[in-house]
Amino acid sequence: MRKLQSLDDLIGFRERVSAEKDLKTETPTLVVSAGTCGQASGANDIMRIIKRHILKENLGDKIELRITGCHGFCQVEPFILVEPQLHLYPQLKMEDVPRVIEAVLGGYVEEDLIYTEPQVGTKFHSQSDIPFFKKQTRTILGSNQMLDPIRIFNYFERDGYAALEKVLSKADPEWIIEEIKSSGLRGRGGAGFPAGRKWELARASGDDHQPKFVVCNCDEGDPGAYMDRSLLEGNPHSILEGMIIAGIAIGAAHGIIYVRGEYPLAIKHTMIALRQARELGLLGDDILGTGNDFEIEIVRGAGAFVCGEETALIRSVEGFMGEPKQRPPYPIERGIDGFPTCINNVETLANIRIIINSGAAEYAKVGVPGNTGTKIFSLVGKIRDTGLVEVPLGMTIGEVVHDIGGGPPGKARIKAVQTGGPSGGCIPAEHFDLPVDFDSLREAGSIMGSGGMIVMDEDTCMVDVAKYFMGFLKDESCGKCFTCRKGTQRMHEILEDITEGRGTLDQLTLLEELAVVVRDTSMCGLGQSAANPVLSTLRYFRNEYERHIVDKRCDAFVCKDLVGPPCQAACPVGTEAWRYVAHIARGEYEDAYRVIREANPFPSVCARACDHTCEQRCRAGTSGGDPIAIRALKRFITDRIEPSVYIPVRHEWQEGEPPKVAVVGAGPAGLTTAHFLSLEGYRVTVFEAEPEPGGMLFCAIPEYRLPRDVIKKEIDSLLDDNITVVCNTSLGDDITVDGLFDDGFSAVLLALGAHKSRPLGLDNEDVPGVYPSIEFLKAFNLKSEQLAKGRVGVIGGGNSAIDAARTALRQRDVESVTILYRRTRAEMPAFEEEVEAAIEEGVTIETLVSPTEIKTTSGLFSHLGCVRNSLGEPDSSGRRRPVRIEGSEHVIELDTLIVAISEDSGVDSITPARSGGIEVTDWNTVKADARTLLTSRSGVFAAGDVVTGPNTIIDAIADGKKAAVMIDHFVRGEELVQPVKSLMPTVHLDPVEVDPEEAPDDRVETPRASIEWRKRNFAEVEVGLSMQEATREARRCLRCDLEFVERTAPDVRAAGGHAE
Amino acid sequence: MINLKINGIDVSVDRGTTLLEAAQFLGLPISTLCHMEGLTPYGACRLCVVEVGDPPNSRLVTSCTYPAEEGLKVRTASARVLRARKMIVELLLASCPQSKTIQDIAAALNVRQQRFRQENEDCILCGRCVRMCAEQMVAGAIGFTGRGQDRSIGTPFDSNSEVCRLCGACMYVCPVCELRCTYNEPEKAICGGCANLAPPCVDKPQFDDMMCYMQPCVACEIKKD
Ligand code: SF4
Ligand code: SF4
Ligand code: SF4
Ligand code: FES
Repeated sequence: MRKLQSLDDLIGFRERVSAEKDLKTETPTLVVSAGTCGQASGANDIMRIIKRHILKENLGDKIELRITGCHGFCQVEPFILVEPQLHLYPQLKMEDVPRVIEAVLGGYVEEDLIYTEPQVGTKFHSQSDIPFFKKQTRTILGSNQMLDPIRIFNYFERDGYAALEKVLSKADPEWIIEEIKSSGLRGRGGAGFPAGRKWELARASGDDHQPKFVVCNCDEGDPGAYMDRSLLEGNPHSILEGMIIAGIAIGAAHGIIYVRGEYPLAIKHTMIALRQARELGLLGDDILGTGNDFEIEIVRGAGAFVCGEETALIRSVEGFMGEPKQRPPYPIERGIDGFPTCINNVETLANIRIIINSGAAEYAKVGVPGNTGTKIFSLVGKIRDTGLVEVPLGMTIGEVVHDIGGGPPGKARIKAVQTGGPSGGCIPAEHFDLPVDFDSLREAGSIMGSGGMIVMDEDTCMVDVAKYFMGFLKDESCGKCFTCRKGTQRMHEILEDITEGRGTLDQLTLLEELAVVVRDTSMCGLGQSAANPVLSTLRYFRNEYERHIVDKRCDAFVCKDLVGPPCQAACPVGTEAWRYVAHIARGEYEDAYRVIREANPFPSVCARACDHTCEQRCRAGTSGGDPIAIRALKRFITDRIEPSVYIPVRHEWQEGEPPKVAVVGAGPAGLTTAHFLSLEGYRVTVFEAEPEPGGMLFCAIPEYRLPRDVIKKEIDSLLDDNITVVCNTSLGDDITVDGLFDDGFSAVLLALGAHKSRPLGLDNEDVPGVYPSIEFLKAFNLKSEQLAKGRVGVIGGGNSAIDAARTALRQRDVESVTILYRRTRAEMPAFEEEVEAAIEEGVTIETLVSPTEIKTTSGLFSHLGCVRNSLGEPDSSGRRRPVRIEGSEHVIELDTLIVAISEDSGVDSITPARSGGIEVTDWNTVKADARTLLTSRSGVFAAGDVVTGPNTIIDAIADGKKAAVMIDHFVRGEELVQPVKSLMPTVHLDPVEVDPEEAPDDRVETPRASIEWRKRNFAEVEVGLSMQEATREARRCLRCDLEFVERTAPDVRAAGGHAE
Repeated sequence: MINLKINGIDVSVDRGTTLLEAAQFLGLPISTLCHMEGLTPYGACRLCVVEVGDPPNSRLVTSCTYPAEEGLKVRTASARVLRARKMIVELLLASCPQSKTIQDIAAALNVRQQRFRQENEDCILCGRCVRMCAEQMVAGAIGFTGRGQDRSIGTPFDSNSEVCRLCGACMYVCPVCELRCTYNEPEKAICGGCANLAPPCVDKPQFDDMMCYMQPCVACEIKKD
């Protein structure tokens, strides 16, 4: 390369390069990103195959190959991007490469390999339509795709050094500073200090004889943030250009790029770029004869996080230990070796050429006033699309997370994002409308930092998050300031106590006080923001801290010492699933039954109709495999063992006459309470409106899921001399709350269930042919009336919709059953396996449709007017709202319509409750304190669906157990608190030795009756496991309890235990 | 001369004067620990923090290192300052309860107990020894190593120093390993007790001549295990 001698030389050279570029025909180009991330995922192999293929097939003039730095969509690497059409072929395997090349030559798209949006399944032919790219403004990152970082010509083709040319032509440093100032550019390194102002100060600082320094800070230490690396790696000349311009503006002749030693590729590319710039005469003494001297050297940092801090960085450049110093004096006045030093972040410097080229005014149009331009974020965590994203400042967090990141990867809801790296803070989903800019984030208790964004969902424990970051900070604090060093250690210590179950509320107060002091009294930015993880989680997620401290529970199942074996913690009634599974593995079936029955008075019912949250949390499943079929194992036991093997412990009432308690409603909640109170010696009377006890078990759950005789047998085993069941008696008509107290009952439990379906609120909802789902199910379950006829439509997506649909399908005169749901299948609240079974049996599911009109013909229901929906913006919970599509109205012919949108307790039962002085909500449920279950009237408690609305059986049972405890405390005049129970195992059972060769790792299939047979039949669908299957399945259990046995050793009871 | 306001009092000082010196000139008490006359200010213990600027944009800075600036408003004993100082003292007590210097500072600030898990360390990394060794003894035998949790004082590579003259100056200036109050070994006690305190252990006969203000008397507890 010939050295350019003058500014005119540069102008001429640039003109030649761009003229040549225009001559080039549009040959298709394969772009492969081979930054550090790309290489790690195999980009080198892809490149090798492409090169070999091109050579072999002699395609040199038909196809071009460009190797670039990281484009940002790291998750799809290694990929090939085909220019100019921008076909993106993600996650390629080596053998796929020739197919892509064929497609390019043939001018078509290889549909099998082209980018397909996960979950949704849409194929995108152009990268710019992909949601991840669509909403981005890739002013800076976009160039990475266009150029090979080691070819300076590539850079020149893309307006490279045009800004330098402009600056040199103006020959007016003041003008540069004015431009930068009026562009509004703020430092991208974290604090957001106006870059132009910094330059102005630097220019004014020192005297003419003093050397000055421009430093490019590429000491990127935040875990998970790598935008600086990508820029330096992918477009090093843009950083050099920014630095040269900075040097000219402030009058500095020395440039230093301070880069982490862990970035070898960035260092290599920068060294190549420096050599090229020097050879071309863009660096060195008297650049292009303009009288400006500027030289750049690279200094490698050793990877201490604190060296990102300006004064520590300077110490490190000077060759000392990286330790911050008191400011003032600021580096601008006295920096490296005491000379004025202007430190700018990589991304800030990358913006300089953009500003100079497009002009400050144009630049300032992007973003919002006070926060102009774009910012690169690294989006990671519990989100579908991860990578580097560049957006205008001021875009909302929600847009970044949902529109660009594609929302959550699974069903779990997004709870918060953490911004700003370890010393940043968490912003909860309720605040996702917050714009990302320097000031809003700071107000919300977080920081911009270098631009890390970690998305967290319900399975993230915020206390654990704070602990993780504090652990990082305590190791990375330089240790100079006592408060930062010791403060972070102490905060970590307290957080550790809390996550391990030793925390107290006093400690929480102390933690908060300490956090404020650490922020206030530390010297540098690291210490001053070190408290953010604690302060921001405390601000938005204090309830999680309290739950850890007061209830000793971690709802995200992260803090092991609070969770214990996950299956047990996940069960609302705390069944020791691991324990009975272990008994089954050992062939001890009666012991297994006792374990189940001790926690749950309805084992056979739950063995069939429980939604088994235990399996969702089972570690065998969460660690990548299939969860243990815990419910099927429970069924296996309850089918074999008689309830009589369990003899509960009974207590006689000690002083005087046993107190009387009234339970209204003989469903799972009410009967559970009655049972446990009876064990304590109470006399319980249960009032039931229907002719038989059972409540929702009978009315709502179809027989094919839960046979009637199973319910009857289970209820019979619970009734004893202390319990009187009075049927055909309903609240309001036959009894009143006041009357019950007059009759000498000491306490009343309302467990009425949710027996009314909520209406759609459309006209004609009462015509024949339209039925609320509960009414429909009840008519069949209690009176065997078959209301469904012909073509049946079911509106709703919950369990009762599925139950209604599957029941209708089995009725005599039914032709077809269609479920109409307003969102998509992924959002359906019904249990997945029920939905699958319904589809298997022939139920059609239509999604994204809402009813608008019920039409009648001669007084009978005949047509349903509907409208199609699309999914719109997410609501605060992160679920996307259905939005009507105008003009998509259509009519469906139906004979029967079942409305199953939700249930409540209905005015019939709520009104008498209200007249008893009990507060109710607007949605027809009884108000009860979540902790005590006490209603607004003393002595009256409420449990189950009447409080929560439609809920699972096991939650109703759990509520019933709690109600028994609360009523007992109430009658005895004790405080209404649930004793905190540790989830640590209390029993040790030796595991069965299984030959690892033979250990099965796949889940046993729950046997089901054949589809053809069961469709027209109300016999039970699920069939029990054989002994062989059960043993095999039970032996698959990982025995998560064993991990805790040593810790709890002193109180662990001996093996084989009889549960009293 | 630089003019500033400390606790509402106007004061003029030479350029380069620290806020601590300016406050001391006015006779305002500020607790210090890592600071020592004759050594370069270092700003490690953060005890000497004062509030500068106007709330809500005021901030805390260490007075021993912060240079007096024209027009600066300084408060040496605002609620925020006191809260911070007390917390620092709690942290100090939690780490080095046996230090007489720290006990005295705690007494002066009326801190009578600390709420963290008790530790018993023999260094708070104030850096007095390092500066003493380098600046007054001109030996430079010791320095800091490691960061965060692992920071400690030592000779290079922890080997016997060739430049150390065993002068003992480092020990002499150390606020933690100084000749100190020995609590539960009364016979070795050199300290007659801080007469201005009401110690909880006075009834114990062997402690007749000495005092300890801590509640509970953690130091004794420490020795037990
Ligand atoms: S605040 Fe922390 S990291 Fe910063 S100088 Fe002080 S001890 Fe070092
Ligand atoms: S592997 Fe076994 S012990 Fe662990 S969660 Fe699953 S069932 Fe429970
Ligand atoms: S040894 Fe003493 S003087 Fe030296 S740093 Fe530690 S506490 Fe300070
Ligand atoms: S005395 Fe000022 S920081 Fe220690």
